[in-house]
Amino acid sequence: MSTVLSIENLSTFFKTDKGIVRAVEDVTFSLEEGEMLGLIGESGCGKTTVAQSILRLIEYPGKVVSGKVILNGKDLLKATDDELYSLRWKEISVIPQSAMNALNPVYTVGDQIIEAILLHEKVSKSEAVKRTKTLLELVGIDGERQKSFPHEFSGGMKQRVAIAMALACNPKLVISDESTTGLDVLTQAQVIALIKNLQKKMNLSVILISHDLPMVTAICEKIAIMYAGKLVEWATTEEILNNPKHPYSKALLNATPNLSDPDREVVSIPGSVPNLVNIPKCCRFHTRCPYAFDRCLNESPELREVTPGHYTACFLEGDKNG
Amino acid sequence: MGKFLASKFLQYVIVIFLMLTLNFLLPRLMPGNPLIFLAGEDVGFMSSAEKEAILEKHGLNQSIWQQYGTYIKHIFTGDFGYSYQQKRPITDLLMERLPWTLLLTGLGLVISTVIGVLFGTISAWRRGTKTDANLLTMFMFLSAMPSFWVGMILVSIFAAQLGWFPVFGAEAAWSNFKGVDRFIDIVEHLVLPLTTLVLISVTSTFMIMRYSMLNVLGEDYIMMAKAKGVKEKVIKYKHAMRNALLPVATVFMLSLGFTLGGATVIETVFAYPGVGRLMFESVLSRDYPLIQATFLIITFSVVIANFLADLLYPLLDPKVGK
Repeated sequence: MSTVLSIENLSTFFKTDKGIVRAVEDVTFSLEEGEMLGLIGESGCGKTTVAQSILRLIEYPGKVVSGKVILNGKDLLKATDDELYSLRWKEISVIPQSAMNALNPVYTVGDQIIEAILLHEKVSKSEAVKRTKTLLELVGIDGERQKSFPHEFSGGMKQRVAIAMALACNPKLVISDESTTGLDVLTQAQVIALIKNLQKKMNLSVILISHDLPMVTAICEKIAIMYAGKLVEWATTEEILNNPKHPYSKALLNATPNLSDPDREVVSIPGSVPNLVNIPKCCRFHTRCPYAFDRCLNESPELREVTPGHYTACFLEGDKNG
Repeated sequence: MGKFLASKFLQYVIVIFLMLTLNFLLPRLMPGNPLIFLAGEDVGFMSSAEKEAILEKHGLNQSIWQQYGTYIKHIFTGDFGYSYQQKRPITDLLMERLPWTLLLTGLGLVISTVIGVLFGTISAWRRGTKTDANLLTMFMFLSAMPSFWVGMILVSIFAAQLGWFPVFGAEAAWSNFKGVDRFIDIVEHLVLPLTTLVLISVTSTFMIMRYSMLNVLGEDYIMMAKAKGVKEKVIKYKHAMRNALLPVATVFMLSLGFTLGGATVIETVFAYPGVGRLMFESVLSRDYPLIQATFLIITFSVVIANFLADLLYPLLDPKVGK
């Protein structure tokens, strides 16, 4: 397996009147070909900002201040505009956070998928129409419905249209940004199963952004956990479930009900997420961490490999070398 | 679609009848006797036979229902009655004034809409920049100036001092221009009032377009278009402007209804022979049939513009109609 995407020390800040919001700082992880990685964290922890930084969609007042986003050996953060235009959707596509608003209301869904195909591939309009039909059928929507407008679809159908659109140019990497938010549980399950299915069938690499830990553990091979703009732990799903290292990961697992162990008490995490405006150098979890000590207040722990393939950012965990 | 239009049409027919009825009742509900308007001060010296004769001449001795029937019949044959003051058939008066008003206000509406839309788009696209701030200041400044003042300033500079344009009227009095010469003469007379009209009305379109565009630019589908690799220009015009124009179209249609009413203040300042000034004169001289007729023209055109909007809107916004 080869690495499709690797993100190194990515930092994205937002300038506000109150100061600089360090929304994403020093985030590092990578993704293998055909792998599904779950990017987990509570609302506002910077998951979507990571996704937008990868595609360079961050707009003023936000800015990617440092880091590398390497896709197949090429740093996207250094790509020219023209390179970006041809790379977006062809190499990386997005299943957006709310498909309800992600489709342009004045154009038919077919036109919006065809637009993506015609932008990136030298095919005729009729060929693109045919492919759009196939794509919609792939996600379980009648291909003739491509002539319908977004408002003529239900929420779940729009979500599936968004998935079809994401696959339009056979990308290698798909970022699913909380694409089941706002759907009922049954439709959620269908959409997630559909994404998983297509991933296997097309050997896609997928970053699945979510705050639904049980769902992510069920379908992802690896998990990366973010807290307040920082990546706190990154390992295989098994490792995270059986051997979580970071206190936040442990607390998160304890806070999640478990069907196979219904008697276990669900423990909430006390305290709240710190304000990210002008946040000082520290472990951002120290305000809520039961194990916090002096060093956590003054120094920011770096992400380190504690056992092979298992990375965490906590002073309590030693280096694999010492 | 046909059914939708048929029901709309029926609604408008009802509205028109209500309007005609109100227009018929209003002067009859006012205190006083129509004789005073018809014969003036002399009425005190008239014998009752003379009074009867006048009433009979104008059909005012008939029952209210008969009068109503006659009134409706006259309206539909284009007969609005006789102006007391100008001693001429009102239909002739209106026919004389309407083309000038249409030329001035129609052209003014089109030009100010185009300018407002263009600058509103630029302003929103560069939100937060100096360009945006300057445009906003300029348009707010324009909207704060009263129309008669702008008109007078323009007249004193460009007509009185520089002598580039004529001071008043729609064409040179007692001239006998033909063809191109007449056209040039009309344009010369049109420049100042038209400029005034555009200057004072352009801000509302600008503000609506800017605000609407800002809203649209924040929508997820704009981000999606970007992620798809669509170029900025295409996003701006195809994805953003197309959506942002919808509220502008609504306001345009509403204003279209009022164009036949003319621009009273500007027409008065420039002594432009439009319907607005006719209305003003008729109110000053208590010329009731003329007042009624001008009001009726305005209400008719508002209703017609609304009907046009109903016809056009489904073409602009796929969510409407069908």
